[in-house]
Amino acid sequence: MTRYWTLACFAATLPLGAVDFATEVHPILSAKCMPCHSGSNPQAMLSFASRATAVKGGTSGPSFLPGNPAQSLLLKRINGEGGLAMMPPGGSPLKEADIEKLRRWIEEGANWPDTSAKPVSTWNPPLEPRRPAVPSSTASNPIDRFLNAYWEQRKIDPPKPVSDSQFARRVYYDIWGIPPTPDQLKYFDASNDLDKRPKLIRELLANSDLYTGHWISFWNDLLRNDIGVVYHGERKPITGWLQQSLKANKPYRTMVNELLNPTRKEDPEGFLVGVNWRGDINASQTPFMQASQNTAQIFLGINLKCASCHDSFINKYLLSQAYGLAAYFTDQDQLELVRCDMKTGKMVKANFLYPELASGKRIPSKLADRRKTAAEMFTHPRNGRTTRTIVNRYWQKLIGRGLVEPVDEMDNEPWNADLLDWLAADFDDHDQNLQYLIEQIMTSIAYQAPTAGPQTAEYVFRGPSPRRITAEQFADTASAVTGQWPTIVDGSEARYVRDWQLKSSPLTRSLGRPIRDQVYTTRQDQATTFQALELANGGTLGRMLRRGARNLLSQQAPPPPNLVDTKALRRGAFRFDIEIAGLEKLWLLAEDAGSYDQEKSVVGWTDIEFVDASGIAKPLHEVFPEFSASLMTVNKEKTQKGYPMELGSSRVLNLKGKGFTGIRGWFVVDDASLQSDIGTSVRFFLFGTEPDRDQLIRVVGNGPVSAPTLLAGKIPSEATRMLYQALLSRDPNPVELERASALASNGGQAITTAGLEDLLWSLLLHPEFQYLP
Amino acid sequence: MNRRHFMQATSAATLAALMGNEPRMLAASTGVKPVPAKADCMILLWMAGGMAQTETFDPKAYTAYEPGLPSDRVLSTFKPIDTVVDNIKLSEGLEEMAKIMDRGTLVRSHRVGDLGFILHSRHQYHWHTGYAPPQSVACPHMGSWIARMLGPRNPDIPAFIDVGQNLEIGAESDSLKAFHTSGFVGSEHSPFMITDPRDAIATTRPSELLGAARFENRYKKYKELVEASTVGQYGGSFQKESLVRSLDNAHRLLSSSAAKAFDLNLEPKEVYDAYDTGKFGLGCLLARRLAEAGARFIEVTTEYIPFRYWDTHENGHLRQKDLKRMIDRPIARLIRDLEERGLLDRTLVVIASEFGRDMMVEGKPGLAVKEQVKQPTIMTDIKHYGMHRHFTEASSVVMFGGGTPKGKLYGETADERPCRIVKDAVSIEDLHATIYQTMGIAPDAGLEIEKRPFYVTKDGKGKPVAGLTSGV
Repeated sequence: MTRYWTLACFAATLPLGAVDFATEVHPILSAKCMPCHSGSNPQAMLSFASRATAVKGGTSGPSFLPGNPAQSLLLKRINGEGGLAMMPPGGSPLKEADIEKLRRWIEEGANWPDTSAKPVSTWNPPLEPRRPAVPSSTASNPIDRFLNAYWEQRKIDPPKPVSDSQFARRVYYDIWGIPPTPDQLKYFDASNDLDKRPKLIRELLANSDLYTGHWISFWNDLLRNDIGVVYHGERKPITGWLQQSLKANKPYRTMVNELLNPTRKEDPEGFLVGVNWRGDINASQTPFMQASQNTAQIFLGINLKCASCHDSFINKYLLSQAYGLAAYFTDQDQLELVRCDMKTGKMVKANFLYPELASGKRIPSKLADRRKTAAEMFTHPRNGRTTRTIVNRYWQKLIGRGLVEPVDEMDNEPWNADLLDWLAADFDDHDQNLQYLIEQIMTSIAYQAPTAGPQTAEYVFRGPSPRRITAEQFADTASAVTGQWPTIVDGSEARYVRDWQLKSSPLTRSLGRPIRDQVYTTRQDQATTFQALELANGGTLGRMLRRGARNLLSQQAPPPPNLVDTKALRRGAFRFDIEIAGLEKLWLLAEDAGSYDQEKSVVGWTDIEFVDASGIAKPLHEVFPEFSASLMTVNKEKTQKGYPMELGSSRVLNLKGKGFTGIRGWFVVDDASLQSDIGTSVRFFLFGTEPDRDQLIRVVGNGPVSAPTLLAGKIPSEATRMLYQALLSRDPNPVELERASALASNGGQAITTAGLEDLLWSLLLHPEFQYLP
Repeated sequence: MNRRHFMQATSAATLAALMGNEPRMLAASTGVKPVPAKADCMILLWMAGGMAQTETFDPKAYTAYEPGLPSDRVLSTFKPIDTVVDNIKLSEGLEEMAKIMDRGTLVRSHRVGDLGFILHSRHQYHWHTGYAPPQSVACPHMGSWIARMLGPRNPDIPAFIDVGQNLEIGAESDSLKAFHTSGFVGSEHSPFMITDPRDAIATTRPSELLGAARFENRYKKYKELVEASTVGQYGGSFQKESLVRSLDNAHRLLSSSAAKAFDLNLEPKEVYDAYDTGKFGLGCLLARRLAEAGARFIEVTTEYIPFRYWDTHENGHLRQKDLKRMIDRPIARLIRDLEERGLLDRTLVVIASEFGRDMMVEGKPGLAVKEQVKQPTIMTDIKHYGMHRHFTEASSVVMFGGGTPKGKLYGETADERPCRIVKDAVSIEDLHATIYQTMGIAPDAGLEIEKRPFYVTKDGKGKPVAGLTSGV
């Protein structure tokens, strides 16, 4: 159950203490002064847009002197002193309490966060789609024509496209999230087809599994979706829908529509549910307010986070607009405005950020209809904002920097408005096909130009910005190159997966995979010491490389199948009865599967019998005297023939020459483990051959891509060349070849496992690997 | 000038600032005035799971167990004991703490948030970040704020070290991960996680998979390979430099003499044994070593695992005995050791928990929330005897060092159920403001994220509690 609370803002109710600008002063200024005294042409040249402009004042001089209320024109005017008309003219005069707040605020020094002191832009972001004429030139891709005109105007020589192998590296990473294999690279390099670049793009896009396996991380970040995250509150994953939508390459319009107006069972209802923790919720974070903030940010590039508490003082959005949008996503007819957790008594009905799209339409009374209306306005043919926002996100993702930055502030001026508007309109004209958009950008010089160096103060586009590979790309590359993919358990079987399907690990979190409680539209991509520690010393990567090196050298036997797997057992007993004829040894494992207290867990097996060919059964302790039978209680039944085991322990039973054909009995959790603070969970296994500790559960199916060429038997220089091609998409130069071969072979004639681990590590941490070309 | 730097001044933070995506410090015009620091280092001793205040630092009338005893007659299941301070009594089992209460201040009137239906990890998130989730931006842990605002004290030691919490605990794992993070202030200020203090040295030593010699060799060969690369322009030189520099830093830490601070085996056996009540006790010892070596913020937790440690849903009385045994000796020893080394004056030590406990009230009196614990009206088994419900009205906090008044009792709760706070309630915001101010950070200091100011205390409104700082 959830109840929504409101709390008093303490500073607002107590007579003492500093006056808070954000919650106490700005609302007064914005309601009473800024309607006339703001903008590009303020009344009497006085603007309350920032502290500086307010102090500087207008035609009558400074509006106030910080620390000196007695000398403040502002106070005189709102008090109607000095024979001048009382401000504001026309509207209701300020309340005494508000005047007192302003007085005290000035007295205390007129603290004013400088967040609003931004250069006043004359840019007026358009709503309607616009189809600017494509400049004429010889280039075939319209983006190139816009850019050629742009560069010509700035007297910049257009860049030349990067080499084939660099191009291939980019597109494989940007479509599949893994690098090309040496064979794929060779094939592409060797082709003389003039259209080979667009053909490669289309070929990669056509593999919907690998495409989805890469792009889903972008969408998970954007839509706050994660794998198996539970906050003991309401949160519903939309993974299935997202996978399906990407695989089917649904038009963006359709995706937005299904996110905003989920009607069928398979629709992504979880998106509007949001992220909710059990218990009460702050007024600005109710599910419908989360929906308001998220839909505005994700689809329109509008930040309503401030406006969810009070009229924003960093942008133009108002509390009533944040609530107005929220009202489309709640079953309440109208919402009471809550300012900084204080109820205001003012009610608002559903209203859209762009009322012109809603004009003439009645607000439906049912929630389902309101959602439908909202979806229609977000995807309205006259709403160019939604398409501009998504094409800008894709531009940023593929080029490293948006046409508008930050990508979540689409009110900012693009560095090339014509290009943005054309791209958005063209995207719309092509059924909002996201793969078409990728292809359009990738075939342009914008994408194919060499990486541009550091920018000067004013951004000038010369080519893509440096892009670091993501956590998922890093992990998937390590898997693809070594052939060792992680697995996830699904009942009694496991299957190979890509990194996005796993919960985040210390390794992937250190590499920038976010905790998706908020919308993430850019990843932190800095190299930090913690990340380096994790890469240099962390267990996850170390184990990954060890297995990988062994696999490449054919030293990694396939994991043997288990004979018994109880799955996670939290109470009671699991019966087994298996054939063991011909086995020389039996391995028994009791693995912890998430107990609260391993030490207090009591688990084991009971009434174990070995059976021989003649059908005669012998109890365990008669065959193996090291097992002594003791009392165990399971499901309130007692047995004297229990054999307790420590959680996390294993035993090997030597069967050679004993002539047994079967073993049967129960794996159990003793009733003593059932106290709430023990929470036992155990998984027992029996194996007939030595188990692979990392792979106890049987794996079915294949890895996401075909296995790499193995390096077993290759001479060090040959193996080195193959790894450079696989990881850096190029051959090593002679110095590199010599050094890397020596590393991989530890100076000898043949590759060693340790040497190969070291070389893999060195290449995965190579700056050339970490940043896309 | 070849000084080792754990976090080189020109590393990620500077780079990020150049790139324009690092949160900006709020400018001086916001009215944030620098405050003089009274402590350079902080140790947070976290009683995870909700420490029963009436069984520890706020004992009430003792009622012995007998079958048939009505639950509502019991306020404490232990006798009170005297301490070195006349007006302070503690609960039986804290005899060592009783001897050092003249070094710090006991706050009995800490009132945590009212978040409705109780969820431990959510209250812990609230306490550690100052903000209750969900939030529209990723909130930083207190340790990350302090690391970000003050930087490392010794460049070879991570500024924020978190000892004792395994984040992979099953059910509430994700919620713990959600606040064991630097949030928006940037991953350079993340907690350096040490799950088990006994293995601390392993985290600062080349992995066992490698060994020191191979680690050195690999690193050397790596740099030679990077130098040999003729492809210079990939990613631009500053990215390349920053990546290699971050590895240099990691390499330095992994081969630095400062890493000795992490090695508990270097302690004399007598000292090790004195602290060794298990993971938490040794965590206190590790905290002392790290404080000496120059860590900025250290959290040592008793560890949160649902239904374990301080999360006493049943058998409360018997378990409290073990829990007090676990914390009493090592905390007292930590305070004495810091004092002996002349460090206590500049080290703020805070003992806190996400809420208190009571046998009857779940939530706050008058604001009771959904019950999660079955407590019979009449007790028939010793396992019913204990404080099993989550009580958010009052919890106890103990503070030492950094100018905290000595031998002081602050705040008061009623002697009759529901044992409300009757004097000097201290909210999370105000307690945090007190802590931040002691560390030299104004309560309304903050950073700008998405152009919006975000403060160390909620909305910048925490007010330092005069009675906890002035020594009066």
